[in-house]
Amino acid sequence: MEALAISNYDNIFKRYDLVSEGSGQGIMATAKDADLQKIMECVIEGETDDILGLVDEALTKLDPMVIINDALIKGMNEVSRLWDEGTYYLPQVILASDAMLAGIELCEKKMGKSMEKKGIVVTHTAEGDIHDLGQKIVNALLRANGYEVIDLGKDVPVDTVVNAVKQYKPVMVTGTALMTTTMTAFEKISNRLSAAGLEIPFVCGGGAVSEEYVTGYKLGVFGKDASQAPGMAADAVNGGTWQELREKYNG
Amino acid sequence: MNSRDRVLAALKGEAVDRPPVISVCQHATYEQMDELGAAWPEAHARGDKMAALAMGGFTMLGLDAVRVPFCQTHEAEALGAKIKDAGRTGVPSVEVHPYKIGDQPQFPDDFLERGRIPQLLQAVRILKENIGDQVIIIGGIVGPYTVATNLVGIDDMLRTSFKKPEKVVPFLELAEKAGTVLANALVEAGADVICVEDMMTSLDLVSPKIYRSLAAPYEKKQFSGINAPTIIHICGKLDAIMTDIAETGPSAISIEPVVDVKLALEEFSKKGIKMPLIGGVDPVRTLFSGTPEEVRREVEKALEDGFSMISPGCSVAPASPLENLLAIVDTVKEKK
Repeated sequence: MEALAISNYDNIFKRYDLVSEGSGQGIMATAKDADLQKIMECVIEGETDDILGLVDEALTKLDPMVIINDALIKGMNEVSRLWDEGTYYLPQVILASDAMLAGIELCEKKMGKSMEKKGIVVTHTAEGDIHDLGQKIVNALLRANGYEVIDLGKDVPVDTVVNAVKQYKPVMVTGTALMTTTMTAFEKISNRLSAAGLEIPFVCGGGAVSEEYVTGYKLGVFGKDASQAPGMAADAVNGGTWQELREKYNG
Repeated sequence: MNSRDRVLAALKGEAVDRPPVISVCQHATYEQMDELGAAWPEAHARGDKMAALAMGGFTMLGLDAVRVPFCQTHEAEALGAKIKDAGRTGVPSVEVHPYKIGDQPQFPDDFLERGRIPQLLQAVRILKENIGDQVIIIGGIVGPYTVATNLVGIDDMLRTSFKKPEKVVPFLELAEKAGTVLANALVEAGADVICVEDMMTSLDLVSPKIYRSLAAPYEKKQFSGINAPTIIHICGKLDAIMTDIAETGPSAISIEPVVDVKLALEEFSKKGIKMPLIGGVDPVRTLFSGTPEEVRREVEKALEDGFSMISPGCSVAPASPLENLLAIVDTVKEKK
């Protein structure tokens, strides 16, 4: 099995035009068997059309949780690594996330229930902001790490964020701002959450905010990079307060 | 040299008495709104208020150029997007995208009469009449890839750009035409320089390959079709595509401080490209959160690094303190 995986690895390396854009190390992940390998490749390549057939076929032989963990999530983690090293750009991450989520949905259907989640995170992009791109990465990485993401999308009014926190009781809420004209909404959200006694970490990031700004209001934790999100969520699930997260990740 | 001569000379790469200070992207702040009696949201929609607020760039900030509009939604609105008003504190945004991938979009014959475009043109006429002999008037348009993104939505635009790039072409063609037609109407109304904000082509969003294949060709076509000097503004870290941007043929490039300016100028010089760079001041860390002293240090560094014109690296956050904005102009004047 190991040898097969390695030969497949060679194939993908050559085949991926995605890799040719960057100077990175290329695809380094391999799965445990040929079916899982193909599914993992589909996620890495963002093949939203092919993945359903492959997952369907694998479900006749393999446990759905094995497919989720050892192919779908594994592929997404590889995408995350390729993003971190600058080989992948946003479109690839969005397509990979689409493929992963489509595969997970099929597996969950087979199980008759949703996979168990580690915790809930509410994510949003600031009101007035038309790009919700940093948030897309955050969503994909959180999902790949087993969190349930309540995706409020872009251009989200302050009220919607506060109400979602009340409704879903997440361990953490995130905000992304890419336009300098929109970032002040975060302060309002922070005030409203505090006033309502909802003192959970409010992780804010994106090109338009700085650590100085985010740590200037209550609950604010500055997220330098989308890849920090799963670690922060894990800390929040383990009871980490916003002060502890700020202490650990900022300053 | 007066402001007009200074900016026009700098755009041509000619000698100046001091580097011009401008704001390539929006420069209205709440303090200016209070002082000038012209505030958002009226100033996004009414030509007289828009002009009154933009004038603050000259009368209050001492910039060598003023610009309109303050938002990035005029083209999208005129092409059918539903726009969401953001009240006094924010900028309008696209609420409903008018098209989906696969549609065949049409350029409306009455494009220039649609939405708030007549008011935008009116604002430029008012500015030209009142201060046009003293400062440069910048008309802002939105770049082709970004307008196309506003037409179909960012997710589908990025997915399709990667998987089936031919399907975004009709939107890019329409978007380029819309921007160029608007730009020339702005020039006719009195704009001296056109700023093209193509923020969706930032490498935070697209790959270098997508920039080269789907953004750059339409930017190039746009610059060659505009009857005035042009400034392209793209956000984010652009080191990998700086020469590609230069080769699209704008008069100058406006960038954020995260771009390695020395590296870009070296690359330009290797290729024989003479392209002024504009920017140097971080709009968030320095202008919004920092002190006048930090602004001063950043401006000094920007001048040393080789920026030809000093500007905030992106839109000025409207809550930025006036004293920080004033420190930009003061520093450049003192360094003269």
